[in-house]
Amino acid sequence: MALITEFHPLEADKLLELSAQRCKDGWRLVQILGTNTENGVDLTYSFMKDNVIENFCIPSVKPEDPIPSVTGDFLVAFVFENEINELFGLSIQNIAIDFGGKLYRKSMDKPFTIISPEQKAAREKAAKAKAAAEAAAKAAAAKKAAAASAPKDPEAERAALEEKIKNMPPEAAAKVRAAMEAKAKREAAEAGKAGE
Amino acid sequence: MSNATVIPFGPQHPVLPEPLHLDLVVQDETVVEAIPQIGYVHRGLERLVETRDYHQFIYVAERICGICAFGHSYGYAETIEKLLKVEVPERAQYLRVIWHELSRIHSHILWMGLAADAFGFESLFMHCWRLRERVLDIFERTTGGRVILSVCRVGGVARDIEASELAHIKDVLDGIKDEYNQLCKAFLEDTSVKNRLVGIGYISKEDAHAMGMVGPFLRASGVNYDCRILGNGAYGKLDYEPIISNDGDCYARVKVRALEVVQSIEMIEQAIATIPDGDVIVPVKHNPEDGAEACNVLEQPRGECFYYAKGNGTKNLERMRMRTPTAANVAGMTVALKGCDLADVNMIVLTIDPCISCMER
Repeated sequence: MALITEFHPLEADKLLELSAQRCKDGWRLVQILGTNTENGVDLTYSFMKDNVIENFCIPSVKPEDPIPSVTGDFLVAFVFENEINELFGLSIQNIAIDFGGKLYRKSMDKPFTIISPEQKAAREKAAKAKAAAEAAAKAAAAKKAAAASAPKDPEAERAALEEKIKNMPPEAAAKVRAAMEAKAKREAAEAGKAGE
Repeated sequence: MSNATVIPFGPQHPVLPEPLHLDLVVQDETVVEAIPQIGYVHRGLERLVETRDYHQFIYVAERICGICAFGHSYGYAETIEKLLKVEVPERAQYLRVIWHELSRIHSHILWMGLAADAFGFESLFMHCWRLRERVLDIFERTTGGRVILSVCRVGGVARDIEASELAHIKDVLDGIKDEYNQLCKAFLEDTSVKNRLVGIGYISKEDAHAMGMVGPFLRASGVNYDCRILGNGAYGKLDYEPIISNDGDCYARVKVRALEVVQSIEMIEQAIATIPDGDVIVPVKHNPEDGAEACNVLEQPRGECFYYAKGNGTKNLERMRMRTPTAANVAGMTVALKGCDLADVNMIVLTIDPCISCMER
């Protein structure tokens, strides 16, 4: 039986209800992880039963947001919750075994919330690449729409094509002309069918 | 009326291969409570994913722990391949299984040696580690490394194993079997060994499941769960049943690991007999999409290891997370220690096969 993985969003106030239900239904808590983002820490809880892993993400948790502990249902969570409190500076409350910030020996506070210059540069690069891709897609869509809506002038198109291919080798130019004529015939045939 | 005393166990202790501290609350000679404390080898390795691209991070992943080195590189590579939707060649999948099962054999035999040393059977410890050397020699012949193999890559494996080398591996494993069976006899039938292990550190099936335990520690309490049955990679093509014991004590944990070595040898022989020809790696050059997530599980020698990766559109990952088996077994360990004799603490701690480097990363 193949592994099935699912990702779902979750609200913080639904966490205890979800945890209790999963415990009752025989699911296992696999892990809890934090991911540092610019809006806070994304907390992901992973539950597993048989061959299914369900991951529930509480997005953008701030240090002042109280998150309830799930150690009442899953004692194994105490390791992960203590780790998250220490490394990310969150406030997961009522942990069954609470190390009070002394789980790891650290040289700085909340080390996993520090965005390194490399990570910052990577995020900016990703944001720029995304924006450029979106702009290119938008421009391409606009060009396509303009071409579709503009009235067709066959003579002008033929003149523009001749201008483009005048410096090409004769054989290549002949191929291009033949392809354009075939395209024009095909479009005329389709226009005729549409008219019928 | 007896008073409770707190006795510190670790972080330096003759029986512990790695630093782990336990505050043992003891009344007379009975442990009432055990409070673990970790953090002595936390290196923050997960954050290195920000400064190493996803190809380079595999070298960091395999250095999380020396015993589970290949396992971590395998699990990490599989997770990234899921994230990037890369299809690994079949031959590479078989090679990964062969190396991973060899890792399981060497890890279990290493552990059996440590357990023998813990209950005072030094010559058995020496024999176990001498036998383990034959497996490390296979690693050196096929990859160039004895402990850190550096052979797994995103997209496949870096080296092939020729037919003559596969035949050599089979010969070595055939040679190991007889000696190994004699060692098993000492572990499983010797009266003095049984006196130290039978009935000690019992965990029920219900508690094992409730505590989220994994690996041989879980299967020794009768829970039938082994990630290899999910059929990732070439595991789906091999014939195999998890080894289970219903006794739930230290002896059951030793028995499960001892039998798993024999099972791993059989799995390697199956893999060698059925390995297909073909490429061992595909080039992987594209980056994960921004916001793409993937997770994966792998049955390492100590149990299920969970991997999570998130991409951000660049060659560096946004987040990489490895939840190792020892982190899942710590809660179970505290339950197993409750009510035991002080003299049995080191055996119980050892039988969960703790790997603190893995747990803390």
